[in-house]
Amino acid sequence: MKTPRRIAAFFHRDAETRALREEMQLHLELRARKLHQAGHAPAAAGFAARRQFGNAAVYQDQISAIWGWNVWERFLQDLRHGIRMLVKAPGFTAITVLTLALGLGINTAIFSAVNAVMLRPLPYPQSERLVSLWEENTHPQDQRFSSSGTPVGAGGPLGRTTVSVANLGDYRACAAFEGLAAFDSSAANLTGMGTPERIPGEAVTWDFFSVLGVLPAEGRTFLPEEDRPGAELVAIVSHEFWQRRLGGAPEALERSLMLDGKPYRIVGILPAGFQSPESIGLKTPTEVFRTASYSSDSLGNRGDHDVNVVARLKPDVSVTAAQAALSAISVSLGKQFPGTNRYFRAAIAPLRDDLAGSVSQSLWALLGASGLIVLIACVNVANLLMVRAAGRRHESSVRMALGAGRLPLMRQLLTESLVIAVAGCVAGIALGRLLMLGLTAIAPPGIPRIESAGMDWRVFSVAAVIALSTAVIFGMAPAWQASQVKPVEALKTAARGTGGASQVRWRTALTVAELALSLILLVGAGLLLRSFSTVMGVKLGFQTDRVIAMNINLPQLRYPGGDARWQFFQKLEDRVHALPGVVAVATANRMPMRGGWSSGIFVEGDMENEYSPDFQAVSPGYFETLGIPLLRGRSLTLQDDGKSVPVAVVNQAFAHQLLHDRDPIGHALLRGPGEPRIAIVGVVNDIRRKGKEGQIKPEVYLSAGQTALYPVRLADFAVRSAGDPHALVNAISREVWAIDKDQPVTNVQTMDEIIDEAAAERRFQTLLLMIFAAVAVALAIVGIYGVLTYSVSQRLSELGIRVALGAPPRAIVGLVLRQAGMLIAAGIALGIAGAYGLTRFLQDLLFEVKATDWHAYACAVALLAMVAVIAALIPARRGARVDPAVALRQE
Amino acid sequence: MSAAKREEIPPGTLEMLILKTLARNKPLHGFAIAEFILETSSGVLQVEEGSLYPALQRMLLKDWISGDWAKTEENRRARYYSLTGEGRKQLARELDRYARVSQAIAAILQPV
Repeated sequence: MKTPRRIAAFFHRDAETRALREEMQLHLELRARKLHQAGHAPAAAGFAARRQFGNAAVYQDQISAIWGWNVWERFLQDLRHGIRMLVKAPGFTAITVLTLALGLGINTAIFSAVNAVMLRPLPYPQSERLVSLWEENTHPQDQRFSSSGTPVGAGGPLGRTTVSVANLGDYRACAAFEGLAAFDSSAANLTGMGTPERIPGEAVTWDFFSVLGVLPAEGRTFLPEEDRPGAELVAIVSHEFWQRRLGGAPEALERSLMLDGKPYRIVGILPAGFQSPESIGLKTPTEVFRTASYSSDSLGNRGDHDVNVVARLKPDVSVTAAQAALSAISVSLGKQFPGTNRYFRAAIAPLRDDLAGSVSQSLWALLGASGLIVLIACVNVANLLMVRAAGRRHESSVRMALGAGRLPLMRQLLTESLVIAVAGCVAGIALGRLLMLGLTAIAPPGIPRIESAGMDWRVFSVAAVIALSTAVIFGMAPAWQASQVKPVEALKTAARGTGGASQVRWRTALTVAELALSLILLVGAGLLLRSFSTVMGVKLGFQTDRVIAMNINLPQLRYPGGDARWQFFQKLEDRVHALPGVVAVATANRMPMRGGWSSGIFVEGDMENEYSPDFQAVSPGYFETLGIPLLRGRSLTLQDDGKSVPVAVVNQAFAHQLLHDRDPIGHALLRGPGEPRIAIVGVVNDIRRKGKEGQIKPEVYLSAGQTALYPVRLADFAVRSAGDPHALVNAISREVWAIDKDQPVTNVQTMDEIIDEAAAERRFQTLLLMIFAAVAVALAIVGIYGVLTYSVSQRLSELGIRVALGAPPRAIVGLVLRQAGMLIAAGIALGIAGAYGLTRFLQDLLFEVKATDWHAYACAVALLAMVAVIAALIPARRGARVDPAVALRQE
Repeated sequence: MSAAKREEIPPGTLEMLILKTLARNKPLHGFAIAEFILETSSGVLQVEEGSLYPALQRMLLKDWISGDWAKTEENRRARYYSLTGEGRKQLARELDRYARVSQAIAAILQPV
């Protein structure tokens, strides 16, 4: 109908009402005058005029209804009344609003993180069509290695690897893709612009930017002919690089950059804020992109899996359909190239999900936990509303006795809940913002996009919907209850101030629910805590204290081969070893927990089974620096160089799994038929290379002096010091520059720092879940305390009679505690059932702990029962102290 | 009071009567509308005069009439109602409906 007019009239309704009154007044006067003229006495005329007119008040009401004002008026009336009642009870209002705000705040904070990390689209056009592509090694032998020990959550599917360059062309031919590009991080030594620096870079195929749908802001993207070995060297730089290092000058295009000792012409500058999939979530975004220019060697080698792949699906092609097409290609490649491809299958997943990776599981679990907190908060608020409704039974029954309908009464109470919900929502969102700041501050590094968590329409509407549904669902119970008041009975009992047995029943049920919900959270927190302490207790197998590691990436141009690199590091080892406070030095391709290399290998005499252990190329000082004990045979020495026979040291797991516990010394390894024979000369202790949550894998340690034989680059340097290893960093850097003044030293970290960082995500999720459980228990305690206090106050006269009849205080305490015990037992029983159902969703986050671990259940039950009984003791003792005279006088 | 026997206005016809009244006159205020209906029907049709006002408001909301404040001859403020275009169409519709209904009633009442 004419809604705008109604609304406009609503705001002028006072003026309209006045105008109507004036019209009606005029009418009455004119009629009275007419009647007077017809011969009535003036008083009689006025009276007759009014009778003829009818009840003006009723007509005014009708007019209000015509304009639809009454609905609004009534709502505003309810609202005013509600706000007045809430202001009159500031304690009640503060507690309810705070409870709601706490629940909503926690939920809002976690949801905004979930939103930032997993729900918001990636910053690329039509990013929902982007998928990440990888290869999975389905080799049965590797499966056997991986399944030794409990599966771990973090780390993605077993056997996942990056993609072989040679397979790229075959995947590109897949009809499901509009485009497919490969990229790989490839930091560059930047020289000729002040101190040599290593800057984050990527090597990408020429179509990388067009697959992502991003065009350079200045200049152009790469051309196909630039993505070939021997082509002109070109680079595209980030906006930030251009601003910071090139001063944002427009003539930066076409300028040349010295990267790894070679000049690169800048052909494009990316738009501000561009993040490649590789650098999303990193504090150091990629600054320079170069063409991958794969050599014909790598284009022909299907056995090395080196590059990341992003692909864009054609419109209307689903991930499932694309996966099916891709699997067919993998199978046919497996038939064509059984040697390399038999066990490898390409797999895809939406890029966004893949980037969120392992953290999405913990975020979902935390979101679920925060949902439970919202529920507990709601139950608490419902509980508080019930108390309040009970306190106002008298008011309700008087109003009903005076003719108020049940509906208006319920509407009044619901409006009050709504006021509370809106206040709670506002406070909750404010609190949520604060908590979010805290959350992003303590969040472990490497959660993509969490730093950009903030309020957007999704976060806001989720909070609003939760708050409003709280108001309706949990305001409904007390409102319904109040409307069921039988005025006569209520007025009779009102004198005694009782709320009736149904009140106690309702509130008992709510408290049981609260206890059950908090038990679920406690069990969850317990499981994570046990996992955390298990992880912390894991022995790495090497000593991390007082060891500092750094990356010294020698550019190919200056150090073309393995021998040149080894010469550099040998020189460096000698110089650093001579520094005071240095105990041992080591060079390797990668130090533990800093990446690694794995490759196929055969044991001499068994060319049937190919294995893929981890490979390290290490200098003789490696085992001493990391404190890895030698168990049998000999260690590597400086004599194991290019002029002597290739040798290797293996670990126990290698001996166990690949040699079936035969003595490794005397055995030899081959990287393939016709490849040089690598003699095993020693056995060292097992270590967990990938950190505490990683598994012990078979390891092969090759000699750093023989790396010319293998596709591996020495790049990591580590020092064990007598004191604080940080104190040595400057001295070590000086020694590096004394050998080569253009050589950057990067990624300097102590082993302890690395371990700490690796534990950060687990610590984060455990800490948060423990905080949640604490909040839940606190809310539940408030609930149980409230319901028992209430029930004691209800039974005051009964308890008074008992005391008067000679019941000792202990008996009274026992009476109340028995009631509490029933409640707690029911809550715990329900909670155990709930936890059993829900904690299985945590399984992936647990480390060597089952979701049904009885320790966690027992601790949670004991803890909850203990605090609940303590909370119950206070009202119980109050009941025992009741003065029978006072209690009976109340009767 | 008039000597004629007074009758309640049949339900549903008040709005039609008001529309017709306004169609036959210059803008009128509420009292004048009531008077006009009373006089034109020779005192037979009697409104409970107050009920005129909810009806007028309803018609204002539906845009059938418009109301403008002006002074009466005695210099009192009053709202003068007049027909809008929409009101004219509504009047035609109501007259049409009324004619059909009364014809139907007449047909039934006709002696065989």
